[in-house]
Amino acid sequence: MTPQTPTTDATGPATLATRRDGAPLLSVRDLHTSYFADEGTVVAVDGVSFEVREGRTLGIVGETGCGKSVTARSILRIVEPPGKIVQGEILLHRNGTSVDLVQLPEKGDEIRAIRGGDIALVFQEPMAAFSPVHTIGDQIVEAVRLHSQLSKQEARDRALEWLRLVGVPRAKERLDEYPWQLSGGLQQRAMIAMALVGEPRLLIADEPTTALDVTTQDQILVLLRDLQDRTGMAIMLITHDLGVIAEMADDVVVMYLGRAVEEAPVDALFHMPQHPYTKALLRSIPNIHAGHRTRLPIIAGSVPHPYERPNGCPFHPRCPDAIPGRCDTEAPEESQAGDGHRVRCHLMGTVPHDGSANHGEVMT
Amino acid sequence: MEAQKAGPARSDNGAAAGDHTAAQPSESTPSTNGDGVLLQVRRLKRFFPVRSRSARRTGAQIRAVDDVTFDLREGETLALVGESGSGKTTTARCVVRADVPSAGEVLLRTDQGEVVDLAHLSRKELRPFRAQLQMIFQDPRSSLSPRLTVRDIVAEPLLVNGVRSDKERSDRVEEMLRLVGLPVQYMNRYPHAFSGGQRQRIGIARALALNPRLVVADEPVSALDVSVQAQILNLLLDLQERLGLTYLFVSHDLSVVKHISDRVAVMYVGQIVELTDTETLFTAPQHPYTSALMAAIPVPDPRVRNTREALPGEVANPADPPSGCYFHPRCRFATEQCKTEAPVWREIAPGHQVRCHRAEELSLAGAGDL
Repeated sequence: MTPQTPTTDATGPATLATRRDGAPLLSVRDLHTSYFADEGTVVAVDGVSFEVREGRTLGIVGETGCGKSVTARSILRIVEPPGKIVQGEILLHRNGTSVDLVQLPEKGDEIRAIRGGDIALVFQEPMAAFSPVHTIGDQIVEAVRLHSQLSKQEARDRALEWLRLVGVPRAKERLDEYPWQLSGGLQQRAMIAMALVGEPRLLIADEPTTALDVTTQDQILVLLRDLQDRTGMAIMLITHDLGVIAEMADDVVVMYLGRAVEEAPVDALFHMPQHPYTKALLRSIPNIHAGHRTRLPIIAGSVPHPYERPNGCPFHPRCPDAIPGRCDTEAPEESQAGDGHRVRCHLMGTVPHDGSANHGEVMT
Repeated sequence: MEAQKAGPARSDNGAAAGDHTAAQPSESTPSTNGDGVLLQVRRLKRFFPVRSRSARRTGAQIRAVDDVTFDLREGETLALVGESGSGKTTTARCVVRADVPSAGEVLLRTDQGEVVDLAHLSRKELRPFRAQLQMIFQDPRSSLSPRLTVRDIVAEPLLVNGVRSDKERSDRVEEMLRLVGLPVQYMNRYPHAFSGGQRQRIGIARALALNPRLVVADEPVSALDVSVQAQILNLLLDLQERLGLTYLFVSHDLSVVKHISDRVAVMYVGQIVELTDTETLFTAPQHPYTSALMAAIPVPDPRVRNTREALPGEVANPADPPSGCYFHPRCRFATEQCKTEAPVWREIAPGHQVRCHRAEELSLAGAGDL
């Protein structure tokens, strides 16, 4: 196998925190994606901007309906009808130039070469990535040949190398097995292998471990970090799990109802959260260090139905500090809260922030 | 639970309880329990046939629940924790007789003070006890009929259990909705009009309509968003305190379990490998699997980023479990003995049971050490 040479010396998983600042690889600017159904329009992504950098992991975290998966699908131009990108730019930087993915024809050769070539995708359900009627080997070989000029035999060798690299035991026999013959963890590994054969510069992982047991999740997270260190690829990790974010991400975008409400380096996000939603989310995670039978602080209400999007700041109906007449009418602009730390909240500068991580505290 | 003793004594109870207890001598000797034990599960087994030609020849079976023993005390929450295939859900289903055990006993002390073995009752014999055992499910979307209004959903168990008066049912439904924090005016809506958290509240209202004593909650918050999960966990704690409920709480998530339970049973491939009070389990686990499970949970703090090795391998196949201790192929402390000899379920400290040969000599990391 010939993974891209890492831009710096190969580092072990333990030194991740010191990873270098990568050059921008993908810039998403003011992205708007909506679904136009008969019942009404669902604004799934509402003006999201962020940057993915080489060799780094960007975590995107949010609850149901926050638009994190639609953002990923928009990048790959696989938003299914009646969804449509209505505004914004998605710039892929390569070879010194930038191509705006939004402008490419959805079924054209260029975006097809980018999918699986520059940008690959793994998601929650591996069985949705594989066809049940073809062997794993055939499917991975096909993926290899799509992105290279290799002969069938060479492609098979490459497929085998990748299966071994992602830690599939008895890889040679597995090539001739069908996806459903593998356990959930092995299917996930095989899907990661298939995603990586095109040697992508960016791997988008959409809830890659949500369907897995916790010990298997742990193995897959270790694997992703390890592969990133070997290949230098960037990872965009989409999840609802703040634990996974803390473990994996360098930078984090918190989304709520289609908006990026806060973006920060991972340490600042967990230890100096600024947005009321981020703070509340961090407080409401069940924590293994809490005393037993302790009540968790809650966020009132629930995520609104997509057709009943609140005016102004989308979080205001659930926000304990919402300012009447302001938060419910006017969408907050972005403000700077520190280096690489951006927040969309009217309260910025009006409320003293608590400045420390909230977990571990016992709250009643 | 007076006069509840080992095998022979039980038949006396059985006589008192009429036909409800099947007089089957138990192979184990349940210790005499103090007051306040609501349910005793003794050497519970549930095997399923493997559906393949070769298996039919060899008689291979999936050992979904393989010798499970525990007590449930009145008013407590006992959590059953494990990964997929650990048998936690099957155990819970056997307890409420949503599934029929292959062997073992499920001894319930009824509200009349009798002891009945639910495992050996026929469907008809079970009927008088059903109301005392209720279940809350993981996915409120699939466990609530889309064609019934909230009123009908919550009233259904009342109707089935002979509450004939419309007024009485209606009043009870209102009372239940208030109890779980749902606006009463939503009573005539259908489940699809509610959010996931609200649907789970409907499921809880339905489960509580008949004043059950034991509520089995099977992953009740795992399908919910984090911000809503906390609401439901708090609600379950409140309801328990107000109504004196006993919970058997099934979950794959140790951090959720930490918040809700008094005691925890950790399951692996059909067996409980460790059972103790929640604080002890998290601070001083005695089984290597418990410790590994805790270590695998991502901590929501980037400053304690995980650098240890992941637990290798995969959960064993319950149709073909390993020899000796089922956990030995993944256990870094395994010895020759672990490969050949199955560890017995034993008490290593008062109220702390474990199924490991090496429990006393190992010093394992708990949640505080991570």
